[in-house]
Amino acid sequence: MQLIDKYDVIVVGGGHAGTEAALAAARMGCTTLLLTHSFDTLGQMSCNPSIGGIGKGHLVKEIDALGGAMALAADEAGIQFRILNSRKGPAVRATRAQADRVLYRGAIRGRLENQPGLRMFQQAVDDLLIEDGRVAGVVTQIGLKFSARAVVLTTGTFLAGLIHVGLKHHQGGRAGDPPALTLAQRLRELKLPVGRLKTGTPPRIDGRSIDFTGMTEQPGDAPVPVFSFLGRREQHPQQLPCWITHTNARTHDIIRAALDRSPLYTGVIEGVGPRYCPSIEDKVMRFAHKASHQIFLEPEGLTVNEFYPNGISTSLPYDAQHELVRSIRGLERAHITRPGYAIEYDYFDPRGLKRSLETRAIPGLFFAGQINGTTGYEEAAAQGLLAGVNAALLVREREPWCPGRNEAYLGVLVDDLVTRGVSEPYRMFTSRAEYRLSLREDNADLRLTERGRELGVVDDARWAAFARKREAIEREQARLRNTWINPRLLPGDSVSGAPDQAQSREYSLVELLRRPDINYARLTALPGAGPGVEDAQVAEQVEIQAKYQGYIERQREEIARYGHSENLKLPEDIDYGSLRGLSVEARQKLALHRPETLGQASRISGVTPAAISVLLVHLKRRTNAARGEGRAATRGARRAIGKTA
Amino acid sequence: MTGSDIIAAVSTAPGRGGIGVVRVSGPRLKALISGIVRKRVSPRRATLADFIDSHGSVIDRGIALYFPAPRSYTGEDVLELHGHGGPVVLQLLLKRCVELGARPAQPGEFTRRAYLNDKIDLAQAESVVDLIEAATTEAARSAMRSLQGAFSQRIGELLDGLVELRTLVEAALDFPDEDVELIRQSDGAGRLSRLKAKLADVLSVSQQGSLLREGMRVVLAGQPNVGKSSLLNLLAGEELAIVTDIAGTTRDAIRQSVSIRGVPAHIIDTAGLRPSSDPVERLGIARTWAAIEQANVVVLLVDAAQGDVAADQDILRRLPAGLPRLTVMNKIDLLARAPALERGKDGSTVWLSAKTGAGVEFLREALLEAVGWQGGGAEGLFMARERHVHALELAQQHLEQATRQTESLELFAEELRAVQTALGSITGEFTPDDLLGEIFKRFCIGK
Repeated sequence: MQLIDKYDVIVVGGGHAGTEAALAAARMGCTTLLLTHSFDTLGQMSCNPSIGGIGKGHLVKEIDALGGAMALAADEAGIQFRILNSRKGPAVRATRAQADRVLYRGAIRGRLENQPGLRMFQQAVDDLLIEDGRVAGVVTQIGLKFSARAVVLTTGTFLAGLIHVGLKHHQGGRAGDPPALTLAQRLRELKLPVGRLKTGTPPRIDGRSIDFTGMTEQPGDAPVPVFSFLGRREQHPQQLPCWITHTNARTHDIIRAALDRSPLYTGVIEGVGPRYCPSIEDKVMRFAHKASHQIFLEPEGLTVNEFYPNGISTSLPYDAQHELVRSIRGLERAHITRPGYAIEYDYFDPRGLKRSLETRAIPGLFFAGQINGTTGYEEAAAQGLLAGVNAALLVREREPWCPGRNEAYLGVLVDDLVTRGVSEPYRMFTSRAEYRLSLREDNADLRLTERGRELGVVDDARWAAFARKREAIEREQARLRNTWINPRLLPGDSVSGAPDQAQSREYSLVELLRRPDINYARLTALPGAGPGVEDAQVAEQVEIQAKYQGYIERQREEIARYGHSENLKLPEDIDYGSLRGLSVEARQKLALHRPETLGQASRISGVTPAAISVLLVHLKRRTNAARGEGRAATRGARRAIGKTA
Repeated sequence: MTGSDIIAAVSTAPGRGGIGVVRVSGPRLKALISGIVRKRVSPRRATLADFIDSHGSVIDRGIALYFPAPRSYTGEDVLELHGHGGPVVLQLLLKRCVELGARPAQPGEFTRRAYLNDKIDLAQAESVVDLIEAATTEAARSAMRSLQGAFSQRIGELLDGLVELRTLVEAALDFPDEDVELIRQSDGAGRLSRLKAKLADVLSVSQQGSLLREGMRVVLAGQPNVGKSSLLNLLAGEELAIVTDIAGTTRDAIRQSVSIRGVPAHIIDTAGLRPSSDPVERLGIARTWAAIEQANVVVLLVDAAQGDVAADQDILRRLPAGLPRLTVMNKIDLLARAPALERGKDGSTVWLSAKTGAGVEFLREALLEAVGWQGGGAEGLFMARERHVHALELAQQHLEQATRQTESLELFAEELRAVQTALGSITGEFTPDDLLGEIFKRFCIGK
C-alpha cells in the first residue's frame, strides 16, 4: 500500500455537506481533496427536489453570505421559486425553490471543477489513518492512502445504510448506491458514540401518467424571487408549476390494511424518524381523525418526466405503494418509476463535537451533515461549509470559528447539536432561534459576509458588491435620520392615524417610516422626502431595520446582558467531579458533554443557574491561582461575607 | 449570570428596624443615582438627601453612599441608600431602582461579584459556593412548596393556555404550506384574552401568598386630629404615635406591624393630608402619597360627629383608582352609637371608637375583606416570593404588548416568547424543542 498524495484537507463525500466543505477549504487556500464513490452523484438531491423553505432558506442565505455554492446553484437550477410567509413579517419570510436535479448537479459540479486548489478523486473511503491519536489521512477501497492534516467526513445516509421496502431490506447508501460498511465498522471500532436514525422518501411518478385536470395548480411567485445575494432572475431556467392533490378514505384503508407488512409498524426499523416528516402510514395512524392529507406533486426537472409526490413518503411494500398511489385523485393511472423506501443509517452523537465540528475524540477529524444527526440539504450544506472553514483554520493553526446563536441560524444549529444532541433527525425551524427577529434572510450578508471575508471564503466580487450595498444602506439611513418634515405640510391622509397633537411637530423620515401605515415607497413619494434609493435590496433593508428597530434593540440588550458569560471559555481540563456545590446530575452532564463555553453549559439540560455560579467561581479561582491569590486575599479578608443580598 | 447588568436588593434583614439599606451594584450607576437621589452625591461621602420616585415625589429621606468602581464591595459601582427601616419604604426604594434599570439580585449575587472582581479571597469564595448551594436548596424547597396544591394547578392551566397559543402561532409561522386546519379555525383573540384573565388570576393569588409572606400594607388617612394615631395604637396595642390635640402633630408616616388574625399588616399612620407651608410637614405629606401608591388598602378615618368633609372627598378623588377603600367612622362613643360594619359598593364602613376599643373587631374583619384575604386554607395558598410576583408582572406586561401586535404574527410570537421566558423563571425552562413537540403532537405536519 502506498501513500499517493499529501493534502491539507480531505473531504469524504460529495453531497451537500461535502461539496461546501471542499469548496470552503479550497477557497481559504488549502490544498484540498474531495473523495466520493461516484462523480455522477456530486450535489445529488436524494430526496425532494427543492432547496430552502422556512428556516432552511435562512441557512441557504447564510451559506451564500459566506461565499458558499448552494444559493447560486439553486438560482441556476430553480424551476419554481416562492417566498413563503410573504404576507407575514420579514423575519419569517423564506425563499424556497424547486430545482431541476440535473441542472443542480451540473451547477455544483461546475463550481467544483473550477475551484482552484481543489482536486477530486473517485474512490470510496474505507478507513481513517490515525497517528498519535490524531487523524493523518484516509485509506480508500482499493487501499490507496492519502494523507491530510484535517479530514471532513460527510457520509450522509451511507454509513451502514439499510434500505427497507416492506419487510424486505437490503444494504444501500441510497437507492442505487452502495453503503459504506467498512468505514462504518471502523468508526464503530473507534468507540465514538454511535446511534441509528431513519428517514424515508416517496415513490416517484411518471408525469405522463398523471391527470392534472382535477388538481390545484401552484405557480411560482411573480416577480420570480432570487436566492443568492449575487443572483439574477435571468439565471433561472424555464419555470414550472407544482400541483396539489389529496389522499382520501380509500387511500387510508389501503394503508391500514398493509400495516402488517410495514417495517415501521412491525418493529423491523429501530432507527428514530423525524416527527415533522412522517411517512404517510404514520400520518394516517397518528391522525386518524383526518380524512385526507395534502400532497404536492413537484416536477423533478425540465428534461425528465418524473414527479416527486411530496407528502406520501412510505416504506410499505411495493404492491401497497402502487395501490395507494392509484387511489389518489389524478393518479388513478399513475406509473411509479421508483419505489419509495425508508433508510436507516449510523450517526454519531453530536455532543461529541466541538463547535468547530471537530470531533473531541480524534483531533483533526471533522463531521458534517447527516452523520451528526441532522436532516435536510441546507442543514448539511451549512455544516459542511463550517467544517471546511474550521478544517482550513486548523491547518493554518488559527483559532476555530463558529457564529453565535445571536449571529446566525448556523450558530443555532451547531449550538443545538453540540449542547443538546438529537433524538430524531434535526431540522431547522425559525422557532428554534430565540433571536429570530434579528436572524433574517434579508440581512444574512450584513450578519456574515464581513466575517467570511476575514476568514477568506468571500471572493473579491462578492465583497465589492456587499461593500457597495452596505454603504448605500448606511447612506440612506443617515439621510432618513437627518431629513425632517412637518406632517401638516403634507397632502391629505399621507400620514393618517397620527394624533393631531403629534402632528404639530416635525418628524424625521425614519420616525415616519416606523409607522405601520407607511412603507419605504410611500415615504419616499412624500413631498420633500424623496428621491429614495433605486436598489430594491437596499430599500428593503432600510425599511425592515426601521420597522423592527424597537424589537431589535430589545434583543440586543438581551444579548449584551448575557454576552459576557456566554462566551467565557471553560478550560478543557476541568475536573467536574471535584467541584463543590455541583449537583450529581450537573456534574455528570458537564463531565459527559464538556461544554466549551459557559453559555453552552447553561443550555445543557440539568445544568442549573446555581451550577453556572459554581462554574464562574471555579473559573475565577483558577485565574487567581495562576497569578497568586495573596493580594486579593488580604484586602478581601476585612470584608464580612455576611453582607450579601 | 454575571457582569454587565445592575442588581439591587434590600440588604438589611426584613422586618422593623431603625434603618434599612437598599444596595445597588453594577457598571455605571450615575444615571440611576440621579434618578433616585435628589442631590449631588460625592464618592465615599455620606450625603443626606431625598430619595424620589418617578414623579419626583419623596419616598424617604436618608443617607446615600456612593462607591465608584473599583473601590467598592463588589468592585463595581455601588450605591447604598440608608432609609428608614420598614418594608414599605424599602420596597418603594427597590421598586424605584428596578424602574431605573436594575433587576432584583439573586441570593449571594453581590458576594459573587465581589469574588469575581477580586474583592474577597478564596476562603470567602468557598463560603460563596456554600451560600449559593444553601440558597438553591432553600429555593428548591420553597419552589416545591409553591408548586403544590391549588397554585400549581392554576399556573399549570396558565402554561397550558400559553403553550397552546404559541403552538398555533409557531405552527403558522414555521409551516405555512401545511393544511393545518386548526390554525385557521383557532380563535386567537379569544385565547389571548382567556390567557390574560388567567394570568391576572394567578397574579392575584400569588399576591395573596405574598400578602401572607410580606403582609398587607394599610394606609391610615384622614383629616388631622380625627384619631388616626389612637386607632393605630389600638391595633398595635402600644403607645406609638404621639397623641395630642394639636392638629398636625403626626408629621411622619409611622410604620407599625401588627398581626390581624395571622396576616401581617404594616400600618402606616399618615401625616395629616392638608396644605402646609412647613417644609418638614410637607415632606411628611409627600411620603404619605408615595406610601398610598404602594398600599393594599386605604383606611379613611372620619370623625363620626362631623361626617366626611369636603377635604375627605378631595382625598378620595386623589386615591389610585381600584385601590380598596375602607371608611372608619371614629368617635362613636361621643354619639352613643353602636359599633357596626356596613358593606357598600364603594367599600365598607366601620363604626367604632378608637378611644374605647368598641368595634375594633369589625375593623379587623373589614381589613381582611378589603385586601381579598380568603382566610382558612392558608396552606393551599401560594407562598409567592417577590421574585415570583415580579416574574408574573413581567409576563403580564408582555402579554399586554402582545395584544397590540396582533397584526404582525412574528412580533406577537416574540411577545409570547417573552411571556414564556418570564414564567420560565418560576416554572423551569421550556425549550423550543418542547414547543416543536407540541406542534407535532397536535398537527399532522410534514410533506
